[in-house]
Amino acid sequence: MIFRMKDRFGLLTMHTPIRRCLQALNREPQPTLSLFKDPSSLRSFSVAAFSNHNISSPLPIFTNSKPASAFGKWHDPRYFSTSKQDDHTKKADIHEEIEDEDDSDDNYDDEDEEDYEDDDDDECVSVSSSKKVYTAEEKEAEATAIGYKVVGPLQKDDQVFKPYEPAFAVVQIGSHQFKVSNGDSIFTERLKFCEVNDKLILNKVLLLGSASQTIIGRPIVPDAAVHAVVEEHALDAKVIIFKKKRRKNYRRTKGHRQELTKLRITDIEGVEKPQIELAEKPSESAKKEQEKVPLSA
Amino acid sequence: MALRGVWQLKKLVVSYSDWGGSSKGIRAFMESHLPAFKEANPQLEVDTEMIRGQHPHLKALYKNHNDRVVCVKNMDPEEILLHATRLRNSLGRKVIKLRTRHVTKHPSVQGTWTTALKYQDEQNQVL
Repeated sequence: MIFRMKDRFGLLTMHTPIRRCLQALNREPQPTLSLFKDPSSLRSFSVAAFSNHNISSPLPIFTNSKPASAFGKWHDPRYFSTSKQDDHTKKADIHEEIEDEDDSDDNYDDEDEEDYEDDDDDECVSVSSSKKVYTAEEKEAEATAIGYKVVGPLQKDDQVFKPYEPAFAVVQIGSHQFKVSNGDSIFTERLKFCEVNDKLILNKVLLLGSASQTIIGRPIVPDAAVHAVVEEHALDAKVIIFKKKRRKNYRRTKGHRQELTKLRITDIEGVEKPQIELAEKPSESAKKEQEKVPLSA
Repeated sequence: MALRGVWQLKKLVVSYSDWGGSSKGIRAFMESHLPAFKEANPQLEVDTEMIRGQHPHLKALYKNHNDRVVCVKNMDPEEILLHATRLRNSLGRKVIKLRTRHVTKHPSVQGTWTTALKYQDEQNQVL
């Protein structure tokens, strides 16, 4: 028993979780970069989106007031190392670290293989048992890492459900990205700390678009937001997990039902929405002017 | 769940036996959790129903005329509360495998791309 304790202490001091965390933090800037690593591809994308609407200029120019926010920080490398990290990239990073470490200190690993799971709990606070009691800040931090923020319950007289507006956003929730516009419904992995009929703000917006404008985040558009309402926490259809080894008399069948959350998108904020989408062709002269004003500015 | 702010679960029927051993949990649930559950969900009608000689179950009646029955025999009160909450949180649709996790009526805002689409040079054709 004493031996075990010693092992544990050895773990806490000599073994590497803290170092790992530090390294993971230091390395944070990299993984986000990889999300949109290739600027050339982005540019071609923006050109595509624009030329669709009769701009004579061959350059991929971003109209309107937004580009400053979306592209103004091009030169600033620290823009990427904000705290708005996706937790999955972080985790991936940690895993990488673990692999790296394994090469260097094999001798430790032999001793503490059983204790490994305990370590994991220490390392990432976010991964925890369902029994854990969260404080409000922890809840908020975890929600932010996934990419949403709970606003509060929907009131009876709230008029959040609006008719369709011709704009879309690419929004990230957890490790999934959705191209949404107003009125869509999406199924995400179950979101914690929110009830049915809660209003949410999804703040990891990667791209915004409307008929006249496209804003590309690097990787996130800072002052954009997508509003949503939680409609349902439900279980997905059952998936059968069947394992079999031939000639060994071994068969295991297990059922699984994934928990999902259905969201209804109510609003997209941060992009201008031309009013005239439903009429087939918006008046082109008006549109041109709209585009040109910011160009000259 | 609530579809566009309208709760879809209309009625929840809690059926139990006052005698059977498998109803032990649900009897405790009706004492401890059910009043609070009722209070928290004024939009839905909660009924209790005594059936002897049967295992207890929860029956949910939805606005779309579907119903869903969950057997709760030998369960703890907490587990039963979880099931009741799940029934409340769901829309009452049939559970089928999702083909897509993104349902939209307006698939494209800036226009669908095709191989024939040429940018910049041939804008007039595009529009």
